[in-house]
Amino acid sequence: MSQDHERIVSLQLTARMSFLPVATHCVETVAKVFGLGREESLKLSLASEEIFSYLCSHVCRGEILDIRCSNGLSYVRVEFRFPVSALDMGALNIAASVSCENEDDMAEVGLAIASRTIDRLNIIAERQNRICLAIEKDKDYPPALETSIAPVDLTGPLMVEMPDTEGAKRYVTILAQCSPDPLRPPFFSYPGKVADMVAAGECQVVTVVDAKGECAGGVLFRFWTARIVEMFGPHVFDQSREGEIAAMLLDTCIARTARTKAIGLVNLTGIPPSVQSQFELLGLLHHYPHDGETVHRQAFYRLLHEDQGCPVFSDAILKEYLRQEYSRLFLAREIREVRDQGEMKAGASIFSAEVRREGSVAILRPLWPGADLDDNVKRHLRFIKEEGINNIFFYLDLGVSWHASLMTVLITNHFRAALIIPFAGQADFLIFQYDILI
Amino acid sequence: MIEPNLDLLVPAYVREFEPYIPSMPDPELQKLYGCDHLYRLNNNENPLGPPPGAQEVIRRFPSPRGAVYPSGDSYYLRREIAVCHAIDPDQVLVGNGANEVIAFVIKAFCGQGDNIITADKTFAVYEWVAVFSGIEARVIPLNEERFDDQAMLKNIDDATKVIFLCNPNNPTGTYWSRDTLKAFLDEVGGRQIVVVDEAYFEFVEADDFPDGMSLLKDYPNLIVFRTFSKMYGIAGLRIGYLAGDLKVVDMIRRTCVVYSVNGIAQEAALACLRDETGHIRRTRDLVRESKSFLSAEMAALGLPVIVGEGNYLIVKLPGSDTLAYRKLMHEGIMIRPMTGFRYPNHIRVTLARMEAMEAFVAALKKILA
Repeated sequence: MSQDHERIVSLQLTARMSFLPVATHCVETVAKVFGLGREESLKLSLASEEIFSYLCSHVCRGEILDIRCSNGLSYVRVEFRFPVSALDMGALNIAASVSCENEDDMAEVGLAIASRTIDRLNIIAERQNRICLAIEKDKDYPPALETSIAPVDLTGPLMVEMPDTEGAKRYVTILAQCSPDPLRPPFFSYPGKVADMVAAGECQVVTVVDAKGECAGGVLFRFWTARIVEMFGPHVFDQSREGEIAAMLLDTCIARTARTKAIGLVNLTGIPPSVQSQFELLGLLHHYPHDGETVHRQAFYRLLHEDQGCPVFSDAILKEYLRQEYSRLFLAREIREVRDQGEMKAGASIFSAEVRREGSVAILRPLWPGADLDDNVKRHLRFIKEEGINNIFFYLDLGVSWHASLMTVLITNHFRAALIIPFAGQADFLIFQYDILI
Repeated sequence: MIEPNLDLLVPAYVREFEPYIPSMPDPELQKLYGCDHLYRLNNNENPLGPPPGAQEVIRRFPSPRGAVYPSGDSYYLRREIAVCHAIDPDQVLVGNGANEVIAFVIKAFCGQGDNIITADKTFAVYEWVAVFSGIEARVIPLNEERFDDQAMLKNIDDATKVIFLCNPNNPTGTYWSRDTLKAFLDEVGGRQIVVVDEAYFEFVEADDFPDGMSLLKDYPNLIVFRTFSKMYGIAGLRIGYLAGDLKVVDMIRRTCVVYSVNGIAQEAALACLRDETGHIRRTRDLVRESKSFLSAEMAALGLPVIVGEGNYLIVKLPGSDTLAYRKLMHEGIMIRPMTGFRYPNHIRVTLARMEAMEAFVAALKKILA
């Protein structure tokens, strides 16, 4: 059996309540085999129970349901796949039963409840008219050692290396101790977790070491979308050689992504000054922590290939903004204005909601158009805010014409167009950020 | 309607491969970038076009011949190539551009579990064809901008079937001398196929540069690629060829799709080989002048260059090459950003007519200002 097969357990059954124990026992058992602790396995199983029950009752009753558990080494993922049916697909919204009015009590549905016991929940529209509802539960790892590591004192020439497990953990440990950063993803606080992520192929780590093998810096990168690689760093541990170390790390990161599927490299958490000239400034994102002051961070980007240009769709309200941004970024885009000309809109829209409780982040994406875009946005905002999540983003794909009809809705609901990420979707992503201070 | 399940039908190595998206046609690019002219300095094309005889062939190609299949194996052209290199016509295989003969070779020699060896910073198609065919591509870092013979030898194992060299190398213009190439072939000792891609052979002026064709008789594991796309200026007709030992080529022929080379390309290529008007000399003069001009201008701007043989040079920029591409496109200049060649912040510029070179320098000064 290949390693991939050893990491996957699949189950196919009919979406009927009589099969509920089969599904939950399977998830709980597999989660334990894949290394989750007893408590985490139980939480994953409870979330699966909520989701299975909900799908049987509201979404795809009697349909064939594929359940796939996979071992991401640092987490366990459970995917529920089913065909798009004629039933009320609007029920797939995480905030499906939340009123958009300011009512005191929010009726809650299984998806909302499930989202509280796991670390991430996401809905993905797939090929062949299938929907994938995915939940993930992280394994528990000890945090980076608090015992202080002596400042790096580099000796002799530096060299790039693809670190082994201990090298990757050392890089993460030094980083956690030397330069804590609220915008860095939480996994950076857990060296063992990063080592498992590398082993699972979720990300790559490159480090620079001196003649004695002392870690002088590192960079971690991973696919963010199908064609965009997200880079964290380069992180430099000796500022006297910042330019040299950052350049070595960046060049290696680019060399390892240049002939992959990646078309662009994005950095949303900051890069050293010495290599900023190699990137383009996309814009500014704000991070609203639960306590403390708002943190502002610049987002950087570089294309890895020629810009082939593409058409993008926009509502009139953002046409000028897009024109100015594309002009500033020297990107060749034909902006096609989308107008509401009275055509019929029917049914309930669906948004996917990626909820990352660890970083207090929610990312909404439109999956299906409908007549209730404004109400649906309001429902999601209300649900997410009630969950205590401060950082709310809405990603529109400018290559999908109907997404443009959300632009006015988002702006009137206090989102601002924050930045464009070229080629992150069918065309570019336009990222909106909700102004939590409203 | 039931859609095919592509996850099941398509091998993972194909699904995971990102297809190369070629540039749009010039009028579309000009529309997108809002420029009223476009100097193409990205593909190392010959600005002089084909030799006069080939131009005449193209002009006079009789339209009724469009209805007739061409020679399926480029019969007359192979004979002419054989005469040029003093080899047997059956030692030659003609393809729809040299890219097609790369695929012939990999299909002929590589199976599941095999690997090819090439460099990290060289023509990408060797690596691409291997990867989307499910073959491992071992890419060895260049050493001081040139193919690293010792590192390549060290990476050979029992599963290595083909070693691809690009001589002179695209994009660095560096090359292996005759002595280096012979020493490498001696070390390999016939255990692997060694391909020497000589796409830019006709541009080379260095005395110690090897003619791979002259080594075929001594090294039956050697295959040499040539193209009509660069010096001979018929890139639009897509035609190139390989030459090797009779028995080796007989094996490759089994993976070769006949009739892939069109009739007008075969006839134009014949005319190229028969040119007596000094096309190669004129082109070399142009390249030499442009190379000297551009090298001096880049030095004046404080921009390092990598320059060697071939009708191109590399310029190192202070910032992103892909951003420079977009800015230059707005100025009507198309160059090749080198990130895809694993040279971030470098651009490759085709050495063309002085008018184009001056326009490039002016645009570069503007975008760097």
